[in-house]
Amino acid sequence: MDRVEVRIVNRLEDISRVADMVERFGAEHSIPGPAVDDLNVALDEALSNIVSYAYRPTEQGEIVVRLDYRTSEVQIEIEDAGPPFDPLQAPGPDLDKPLHERPIGGLGIHFIKSLMDEVAYIRLDGKNRLRLTKRLPAA
Amino acid sequence: MELIENQSDGVIIVEPRGRIDSVGSKTFGDRLTELIRSGSHHMLIDLQQILYISSAGFRCLLIARKLVDEANGKLVLCGMSSEVKRLFEIGAFTDLFTICTNRDEGVSKAK
Repeated sequence: MDRVEVRIVNRLEDISRVADMVERFGAEHSIPGPAVDDLNVALDEALSNIVSYAYRPTEQGEIVVRLDYRTSEVQIEIEDAGPPFDPLQAPGPDLDKPLHERPIGGLGIHFIKSLMDEVAYIRLDGKNRLRLTKRLPAA
Repeated sequence: MELIENQSDGVIIVEPRGRIDSVGSKTFGDRLTELIRSGSHHMLIDLQQILYISSAGFRCLLIARKLVDEANGKLVLCGMSSEVKRLFEIGAFTDLFTICTNRDEGVSKAK
């Protein structure tokens, strides 16, 4: 199975289901451990952001995660039905600040951009879609 | 996410296992805060058994570090794999923490 899809609701705990799925997907396709971990860190950042901001706390919202394996890369698509939000336009973190002044905001998207090879956002059919691509080392 | 705790030479050693992500960091952060507030001001966090740490986990480490500093204690990290170290580098956290290679060195630095 080169493509899998999982649907979760906007609860932090549901991110663990996605992480479990990514680990199984990685094992099935013999994806190297560090690449699987990179995918999971990037997913954790993107999903926790959606859970925190895309829907109102009382509202149950759906988030769809699709994984697509190709020989040389893994592509992830994350879809939510929240208001239009392009995380790539958010300001980055100030990494030069000393410890006690370090803001944590913006760090998540910085991790996503650093760990993935391509990151793209589109708004389509009233939904936010974030597409992450991770290239894999040649087998 | 699991947490194992040990004491050595007046230093509390906390060993998280699994993912320190936005789910696991809740348990992790709450426990670190609780330990520091109840008087454990010399702490070594051994990251040997973690899979990865995301920004939610880094937030916990920053908070723990601030609390320990306020108490004039010490917080030291050890046991980082090269992948975990890379995450620290990406977040520019390497220079913000005392990082040791193993527990023995970590305990002597955290005392």
